[in-house]
Amino acid sequence: MEQNTTVPTLDFKYWLDKAVEWGQATTLETQKDVCLHLPQLQEFLQQTYETLKHMNSIVAIQQFPLIGQLLGRLCWNPFVIGYDESQKTLMWCLCCLYSSEPQNPVELKANSWIRSLLCHLLSSSKWESNEAETSTFISALGYTSADYYCHLVENIVSSLVTELRGNQFNGLTVQGSVPASRVNAVSLFCLPLITLPDITPLLETLLLYHGGSSKEILSSQFLEAVNDAFLKKKIPLSESSVFSLWLRHLPSLENATLHVLDQLVSIQMNSLEEVASVIKDSFLPQAASHPAIFRIVNEIFKNALLETDGTPEVMTIIQVFTQLFVQVLQNENKQHKFPLKAYFPHHYQPLVVALLRRPFELPATCWSQHLTHISNMVKALVEDTNISSSDLLEVWFLVACFGEWLDIAAEQLLKAAVEPDALLWLLAFYYCPQTKNLQRIQTMAEARAVYNHLMMLFNTTTLSVRDLQAAVNSITDTEQCYTQHLTTHLLTNFLLFSSGGHMIAQEFISHITETTDRSKEVRSLLIRTAYRINQNGEENQKTVKLVNELLQKLNV
Amino acid sequence: MEVVLGQVEQLPALLAVCRSALVRAWDPPTLERALDWGRYFQHLHDRLRARPRPRLRHAVGQRLRRARSGAPLAFGQLGRCAELLGLALLENRALPPAACRRLLQRLLQPPAARPGRLALLARRKAACCLLEPLRSSPPSSPGGPEPRLAAEAGLLLGRLRDEPPGEPRWLGGVLQELPQPRAFRVVAAALLLVRQGGGGQQEEEAGAGPLLSWLLEDAERFAAFCQQLPGSLLASLAAHYSQISERYLDLLTGWGSSLLYDPLQGQWVKGCPDEAELSWEELRERFSCLCKGPEMLSRQTQAALKLLKARDGDFQVCGLSVWTDLLLEWSSLGCPGGGFFFFFFVLLGLAYDLASGLV
Repeated sequence: MEQNTTVPTLDFKYWLDKAVEWGQATTLETQKDVCLHLPQLQEFLQQTYETLKHMNSIVAIQQFPLIGQLLGRLCWNPFVIGYDESQKTLMWCLCCLYSSEPQNPVELKANSWIRSLLCHLLSSSKWESNEAETSTFISALGYTSADYYCHLVENIVSSLVTELRGNQFNGLTVQGSVPASRVNAVSLFCLPLITLPDITPLLETLLLYHGGSSKEILSSQFLEAVNDAFLKKKIPLSESSVFSLWLRHLPSLENATLHVLDQLVSIQMNSLEEVASVIKDSFLPQAASHPAIFRIVNEIFKNALLETDGTPEVMTIIQVFTQLFVQVLQNENKQHKFPLKAYFPHHYQPLVVALLRRPFELPATCWSQHLTHISNMVKALVEDTNISSSDLLEVWFLVACFGEWLDIAAEQLLKAAVEPDALLWLLAFYYCPQTKNLQRIQTMAEARAVYNHLMMLFNTTTLSVRDLQAAVNSITDTEQCYTQHLTTHLLTNFLLFSSGGHMIAQEFISHITETTDRSKEVRSLLIRTAYRINQNGEENQKTVKLVNELLQKLNV
Repeated sequence: MEVVLGQVEQLPALLAVCRSALVRAWDPPTLERALDWGRYFQHLHDRLRARPRPRLRHAVGQRLRRARSGAPLAFGQLGRCAELLGLALLENRALPPAACRRLLQRLLQPPAARPGRLALLARRKAACCLLEPLRSSPPSSPGGPEPRLAAEAGLLLGRLRDEPPGEPRWLGGVLQELPQPRAFRVVAAALLLVRQGGGGQQEEEAGAGPLLSWLLEDAERFAAFCQQLPGSLLASLAAHYSQISERYLDLLTGWGSSLLYDPLQGQWVKGCPDEAELSWEELRERFSCLCKGPEMLSRQTQAALKLLKARDGDFQVCGLSVWTDLLLEWSSLGCPGGGFFFFFFVLLGLAYDLASGLV
């Protein structure tokens, strides 16, 4: 029964034609064609094996008269044998065709043919005349072909690596360099072998190889496949070779960036440490120390944010990425540093410099002053009547990338005695990046009202959830969502840093979870706070404990 | 312990049977038993490596070598025993179909097969096939011997390092499996590999020692070695091994001394054309490689040449002493108007002979 369902899908004729075509011509075009079809062929072999394993060998040969020819030809094609797991499946298929009790000369011949094929695949066989001596020598030493080919492939790889590197170092002697066509062929021939650990040094050398011409000399199929294998963690690659790959092949960099986004959006974030470790693992922040890479990654992130309508998860990912990127920049050797302008060419440089300062570089007492300075700069930029909406978006995105300072602004408003206007304005701008000044003025007015109210309640020791809720509702009944986000931000900090807030925090969070859709937002705020506290380690124990308890509650 | 050692002692014999026509009588259960032994030895190897018991390990090695029949096995090979037996059986055409079918199942098919070991082998072989032709042709390939040679040399060294100190008796026999220039090339590659390896001195000794004695113990063998390998390769060996450089220079001296100057052709020719010696051109190439080598070697070579030249009368013109000519070649002064000088010196020589005859 199963045979009937699987037979029609197995197109032996198609693959036999392909195998014949591949076997006859050895041009670059056929080789490209082989590489293109390898994944499909592997799938086909897998299906064939699934069918064969339930069959007796005689029945199999009767049912698929072309199978012998096809498998035989494939065994002689090194692209097929070298690719991923094809060789394994091919050998399984051959095993299925071997008959344990051959009844007639044809079956005997088939058996003998299968053994020849397997020997061809596995031994430094005595049947291949040029290797006869090697084979005797190896077995006289007590080794097998497995030991021999392990050494051989290593030596071939290192010889190719030496050749390619040698020419890189005397880059001046262009005539002596490896011809571009041969480098291209090496990259194409590596394609099926990418996941074979022995050739990793060759992959890395190729990725770092540029040759004399400005045109790409490596096969684009190869570049795509290497990037894919790297992203799926099938192969390890050195940092420098990955950077070189991304610099020379834009689609790979795009894929890498989208891959990180996909990865992070699909998991439930429990802590920013987790997010940071995934991002670090991706090599993106390290690679971004190259300005061209940074700008492209940043652009992709911006588009992702716009396309998802500013999803908080995406925003958080971008903020963590920026933070890690800044760390990399600061750890870099000063000599190799690019100017900041190279990373942010279209921005007001004093603002960039201010945003790039890490909070721990300044004493906490200076934070509000620093934030006021930032706020004033941003205000001057966006209140310029000539500003276009796209420029406004750029400024907003720049500020948004450095979310740590925004969180600190909200915290400072409640924790420290500050002149609130500039800080409130910055938060209002972040939550309401509208071109219309009027809208921002309204948001600002509401934010100020909420803030004043919260400050009034700050020293109240006996506070009830209803008091707090009523206070907030009375002001934000306009249903303006920007104000709601801002209010949530301030409220959460109120719960964490006021004595009254501490008492009712648990209850209030439950209330929010039950009555509104803001629990995700609160969770995200708390996770960020927890991360910052863990990094700076200066917060008092009571707050740390509260943050963790609240997060636990929200995680349930 | 004695039981284990008794079993180990049987391994070389088992391997020999797997390679012989005796397997014709094997049925599937027999085959299973053979493969199970392979697994057992592998297990034993892994355990002895994880929890080293030097005495038992030493004894195992001794028992493996004690066996009279079959190839020499060492402790390291126990670890690859299943593969060793499996592949030997696969290549053995005498194995009957039923047993062979079982072999294929055990070696290749899941779940019995150790995941991917042989698939990796097939993949590596294909990788070699794909990548080897992409290397540039030997003359322009920088550094290192040809990969196939290097692989053979690497295995030879690996096997020597697995051997207790002393002369492995099997070395000569194993090298005989290769035709001569190839065996020499493998030995040369192995000797150079030892020096590149950056291993400890002990490791170097274990690898290079036996190879050097094999090479130097037989004068005829060493002469053939120096004759068949290119000068550049011999020069790098001489640069690394003083034992080789001394013997090599002696040999070149002998060969040089037997050249005769043919005044009609104006060049040095072999004394006996059939002798297995070097021609003038070959000799010149070898000396020039030595002089182009590291400073120590270059100085040693020039000093030797100057000494030989002095012994021959310290003439400063061509055609009288092969050493003078080599030195002139090397200092790139060449030999302008050689014919004239030769004529002049023949006259001088005659005069000298006459004079001494008179005295």
